[in-house]
Amino acid sequence: MTRPALRAEGLTKRYGRRVALSGCTLAVPTARVTGLVGPNGAGKTTLLQMAVGMLPPTAGTIEVLGARPASGAAQLAKVGFVAQDTPVYSGLSVADHLRFGAHTNPRWDHGLAQDRIAQLGLDPAQKAGKLSGGQRAQLALTLALAKRPDLLVLDEPVASLDPMARREFLKSLMAHTAEHGTSVILSSHLVSDLERVCDYLIVLVDSQVRVAGDVDELMGSHHRLTGARRDRAGLPGGVDVIEESHTDRQSTFIVRSTVPIDDPSLDAGGLSLEDLVLAYMSKPGRETTR
Amino acid sequence: MIWFTWRQFRTRAAIAVVALAACGVALLITGRTLAQMYAGVASCQSDCGAALSQFGEQFRRDDLFLVYGLSSLLMYLVPALVGAFWGAPLIAHELETGTHRLAWNQTVTRSRWLASKLAVVGGTAAALTGVLGWAVSTWARHIDTAVFDRIEAPNFGARGIVPIGYAVFAFTLGVTCGMLIRRTVPAMAITLAGYAAVVLAMPLWLRAHLIPALHETRPLDLENLSSMITNTGEGGGTMELTGPGMPHAWNVSNLTITPAGDEFHGPPDPVACGEDAAANACDAWLTSLNLREDIIYHPASHFWALQAAETGILLGLAALLVMFSFWWVRRRLT
Repeated sequence: MTRPALRAEGLTKRYGRRVALSGCTLAVPTARVTGLVGPNGAGKTTLLQMAVGMLPPTAGTIEVLGARPASGAAQLAKVGFVAQDTPVYSGLSVADHLRFGAHTNPRWDHGLAQDRIAQLGLDPAQKAGKLSGGQRAQLALTLALAKRPDLLVLDEPVASLDPMARREFLKSLMAHTAEHGTSVILSSHLVSDLERVCDYLIVLVDSQVRVAGDVDELMGSHHRLTGARRDRAGLPGGVDVIEESHTDRQSTFIVRSTVPIDDPSLDAGGLSLEDLVLAYMSKPGRETTR
Repeated sequence: MIWFTWRQFRTRAAIAVVALAACGVALLITGRTLAQMYAGVASCQSDCGAALSQFGEQFRRDDLFLVYGLSSLLMYLVPALVGAFWGAPLIAHELETGTHRLAWNQTVTRSRWLASKLAVVGGTAAALTGVLGWAVSTWARHIDTAVFDRIEAPNFGARGIVPIGYAVFAFTLGVTCGMLIRRTVPAMAITLAGYAAVVLAMPLWLRAHLIPALHETRPLDLENLSSMITNTGEGGGTMELTGPGMPHAWNVSNLTITPAGDEFHGPPDPVACGEDAAANACDAWLTSLNLREDIIYHPASHFWALQAAETGILLGLAALLVMFSFWWVRRRLT
């Protein structure tokens, strides 16, 4: 990986005795749409807030596009952020929000902002407080996109949206990033939200990266193996067992393997991204209960 | 960022300007009546004492007396409103609604974000309070010389430049409270309490010491005592006399002392001031004591020096609050 969009080392955030993120080390590539997936409480929001400089770390380091987050106006210009609850100024109109963006961002792309507002069918005179949740999220996204950042950070951007608005939101995000080559990090606790948009995936559980990689590569190297009941020792060499389950007669394994599996006693099948993520999310719990 | 701060603030600023204009009109109208009432004094060439006291009596009986009191009250109210409604919500409302997360992710550093808010809203508060203070001081100028004294406690804080100091202080106090408490309504309450504490502490304990007061000891004028309380009782009783004090001045302390320099508290002479004594016997006895009046006071000429010192202190407190706010917003606020 060349210079990463985001690099964290031993990143820790404590609030008094409560630990929100503990010793997190990860790297996010540039020019990719990276999905950050993990269960609630994994530290996703804390990590992203530290990435945009909203929160200072308690320990460890975090570097975004090669600099300390929010270290100055130049750094702020490079990073766009849409917070989880997509805050907007409820008393101000949509047009006022665009003027706000224009006045506060040197790279502001007013044409882009106005085109998006028109495409979304938002009335520029409408007060932001009267917008629906989906429209508000779109307005917040428009502000972040028209800022023309090198890196766009979206914290659970679709969590509060209904399925229609969710699809619209992700579609417009995709269209923009495809056109401008912006690096994007978006988080969710549901991989299904991100499946269509992200091409790089990081699974974060308890502040630790369980798996990270190119989505196509992950899909290609993970398999579900089904066969007559056996121990994991009975699997071919070179496979890494992520998850196993057994009935009286049958065993099912989710494995990672870089080599093709050609054991005739095993039925190898593909895996959905959701199954893959779930397997990684549940991995440690099974190990500790044994 | 200045544009945006103004966009957020303009409705409240407009309300304030309309309210200020209404006060201005009220002062203009009543000011004409007041000028007619004062015409006798203004046109007087010599021996104006009679004209002055006639103006004073007429004024006290008129509704203008009420306007005078209300306008002074207003000058104490304005900084409270500025602190509670402009200062406290300035940051707290953004923290409450989460919009600071939108603002801080534009290409604006937190320091610039805070600086433009403080400059636009605080500057407007100072300017409007200054204009109102000037209007009220001008309206009341004849009364302040002929009837009451502007250097005395309730008027002093409502005249000259001190209201600007209170408004700026209350504003920065509100901003700081809002930033620390993160909720608008509790921040407003704390701001009001803090402002009230400073407004009360200033005349009670601080103002008299801002510049050195004058000290005067003179024979007690028994003809013009401002109060005399005699208690006869066990152990001879007590007698408390207070002299007239310095005219047109703020008498910070006024003690009655004996020629030896001790404070005089009686006891009254049991014969001369007793029930069976002759009419003037008690007065004659008091005269024979050669009591003196010991006054610490600020004369009217200290007005502007005291105004400058008090405004300086308030602006200094405001500056400390602003410095703290910048530090907090940069290092601690999330």
